[in-house]
Formats: sequence, C-alpha cells, structure tokens
Amino acid sequence: MRQFFPVDDLARDERFVQTNMAERMKDARTTVDVDAATAKSRASSNRLTPDRHDASDGARSLMHGIMVGEIQALEGAGRTAHDFEAGDGSGDTIPFELKLDMARQAWDEARHVEISVKLSDWMGTELGQFAENTVLFEAACSNDPILRLAGVNRALEGLAIDVFTQMKEFGNLAGDPYLEFCEDWMLADEVTHVKMGSDWLRKVTENDPDRRKKALEFQQVVDKLFSFGGARGETDESPIGLARRFRELAGFSDDEVDTISMMDQEALDERKEAIRAFHAQADAQPTPA
Amino acid sequence: MAAVSTAKITVTPSEFHFVKYEAQDIVDVVTELAEMLGVANPIHVIVDESTPLSKLAAEADGTSSDSTLTLRAESGALENTKRFTHFSADAARGSLGRTLLRAKDRLRSDYAEAPDDFDLSLAENAAWDTYCAGRLDRMGVKLNKQRWLYNYRNRFGFSDDGDAAFERLWSADDLSWTELIAGP
Repeated sequence: MRQFFPVDDLARDERFVQTNMAERMKDARTTVDVDAATAKSRASSNRLTPDRHDASDGARSLMHGIMVGEIQALEGAGRTAHDFEAGDGSGDTIPFELKLDMARQAWDEARHVEISVKLSDWMGTELGQFAENTVLFEAACSNDPILRLAGVNRALEGLAIDVFTQMKEFGNLAGDPYLEFCEDWMLADEVTHVKMGSDWLRKVTENDPDRRKKALEFQQVVDKLFSFGGARGETDESPIGLARRFRELAGFSDDEVDTISMMDQEALDERKEAIRAFHAQADAQPTPA
Repeated sequence: MAAVSTAKITVTPSEFHFVKYEAQDIVDVVTELAEMLGVANPIHVIVDESTPLSKLAAEADGTSSDSTLTLRAESGALENTKRFTHFSADAARGSLGRTLLRAKDRLRSDYAEAPDDFDLSLAENAAWDTYCAGRLDRMGVKLNKQRWLYNYRNRFGFSDDGDAAFERLWSADDLSWTELIAGP
C-alpha cells in the first residue's frame, strides 16, 4: 500500500469541493470590528451561541467543518499508523505501541465521522454542502512522525477540543439533546487523542531535545494556521473559544495555552490588517457611472 | 399565480468588489421570483458585500401595488457555500424568495402591526422564515425542510408541540401577522 499521501490525492466523491487556507484568506469580507465604518459584529459578540440571528446556520456550517475535519483526522491517524516502520522511535520509525494508539484513534475518528454525518442530517445539512478546507490533513503530511504528532494530535485535536466545547455549549443552551450529548462524547475522545500526542511526543524525544524543539515549533506554526485568522480566540470577537480546562486535561501546560491564545490574537490582528488594506484598495477604485 | 411580472428591479451596488457577483444575475433571479410570486411592485435589492453573514430584511414603503419593495441581503445569503465569494442562483432563489414573500406579506393590512425586520425577535423571525420557506417549497424552489425545522427548534424548543407548530406554519398559505406569531 502506498505511503505518504499528498493532500491532493485525498479520495472524495463529487459532492465534495476542496479549498485551502490561502483561498479562505483571500476573502476580504469580515464579521469583526475592523473599524467603525465596517463593523459587522453580531450584536455584542461573534461567539457562536444560540442568541445570534444566524445561530442555526452557523452551527450547521461548523458541524460540516467538524465532519470533514473528522474525515481528515481519520486519514491522518491512519497514515501515521501505516507510513512508518515499527522501531525504537529514532529516525523514521515509531514504537509499535504508538502505531496501536494511532489505529485506536483512527477507529475513534471513523466513529466521529458517522456521528457527525448523522448530526449534519439532523441539522438539515447535505454532505458536501460547504467547501472542505484541507488544512487539517496538510498538518499530517510531514515526513517526521513526531512532527505529525505535534501537528495532528496536539494542534488539530487541540482545535477539536475547542470546537467541541463550543458546540456542546451551543447544544446545551439551545436545548438540542443530540448535539450536546454527541459533542460531549466526542470531546472526551479528543482529550484522549491530545493526551496521547503529548505523552508520545515527550517519550520519543526524551533524549533528543532538538527534535522536541523542532516539533513544538512546528506545532506553533500549525496552531496559528488553525486559528483561521482569529476565528478561534479568547475574546468575543472569535466565534470559537479556547477551551482551557479541557486542554489542561489533555496535557497542555498553562504556558502552552497562553502561547496559543497569544497566537490566536496575532492571527486576528493580522487578519484585520489584511482586511483594512483590502478595504482601502476597494475604496480607491473608481465608482462606476 | 401571475404569469407575467411588470416589476422594475434594481440592484445596489451595480458592481461588486468583495465578492464575484454580477448585479444582472441578481436581477434575473428576482425577476423570476417576482413572476412566480405575482409581485408587480418595483423592487430594489441592496446587497451588503462587506460581510459574509446572511441576514435578510424586507421593507415596503407603502401598501399599494406601486409601493417599492426593498430587499436587503448580506452577501452570504446569496453565496455558493462550496465556492466562497461566488454567487449561487439556488441560494439567492431561497434567500430572496423568502424575503420577497415577507415584503409581499407587508403589503397586507393585517401585517400593519409587524415590526420592522431589524426589530423582530429571533422567534418572530424563525416563525416568519418557516412560513415563507414552506410556501416557496410548494412553488418548486429547492429548499431543505430539515434546515428550517432545525432553525425553528432552536427558537421554539426541541419538542413534539414545537414540531407540530412548525408543520402548521410550513403548510400554511394565508396567515395574518397575529396567526403567524401565535407560537406552539
């Protein structure tokens, strides 16, 4: 079986249309308060809660993002279980027990895909209705298995913790019994996946501080990407919050969560700056007669 | 249902910078909808292209057949969700169709008490959206009924009584404002 699958080769049927971060960031429209003239905030907050006028559509869109994210997480964990030989963790090998953890994660993700498909149906969403951002799988394409752990298990699954916490809270506030229940169960799995990544990253790089440093730096790069231009963050400008408590349970230190929070804010500020520049450019264009 | 519409339709802005929309595509969709819904009033569509959100609002500057109907749409309401910033005639048909039905309702005397769209409560909005979506669906506009049921449940609760009230609104054709907001 082929190893090291590039993102372009992911198998999808004709219902799915893929996009990437570069394409998403070209969209100069915004919901954040860039300046007084262009403020498009939903009342006082952008946070995805039932009191937003577009609450159910926002939740449906996010649920679809979760569903395709689960597919990519399944693919990422499956690839890591398969792509590397069993060994002592040095070079391109991974411990056999790490392979088993990746296989278990792939099983969990497959279950999450099924749950997410059923939830999407329940919420009135068709599969493939929204573009699929492949940035999650891109974090799983490194040739170094430890970078994959940092990118997938800590950054991607860390994002999943934030998103599931948000959706669980949404289900709770809206009184949607299925949404709250399912998100709670999937959240528990995600905490386990992040913990597996945290534990294996520490264990495999125990005697290789340079490799650990490189992996953590890679994780920071991926974490900033996964902020989606500040769509995740601790202020109410971000639709998705940072789930500090569950991240702590998953093995993130306070310092690590503070760093992610800071990067989320940086991503939001950079996004605002880019939008300001686009607005200035648009304003400079001549008005048609 | 009127076979021919004489509606005069205008779109603002005439050129888009943030999204890849053409004003003429919007005119075409609204012309088709006006014909389908039997609306002969002048119609002005105002698109806010600076936001990806999808809020909609309908206004009527009177109750006569020559009163101007203004349909306001944030750009996300007309968007192809598979290709961001690109126009979708299907999405526009669903969004502007609901909004045009609202505007048409506002021409009726028994909607005089309805607040402006931006002053409606979330529940009133959900009820009116259900009523409009159900009518559009029966006219052949492609809609996902489950989406509207989920929207309604989010405002009126996840219960059998709520679902029964949704069905009543979805299948209704001639409700007054008072009947529309009666709730489950």
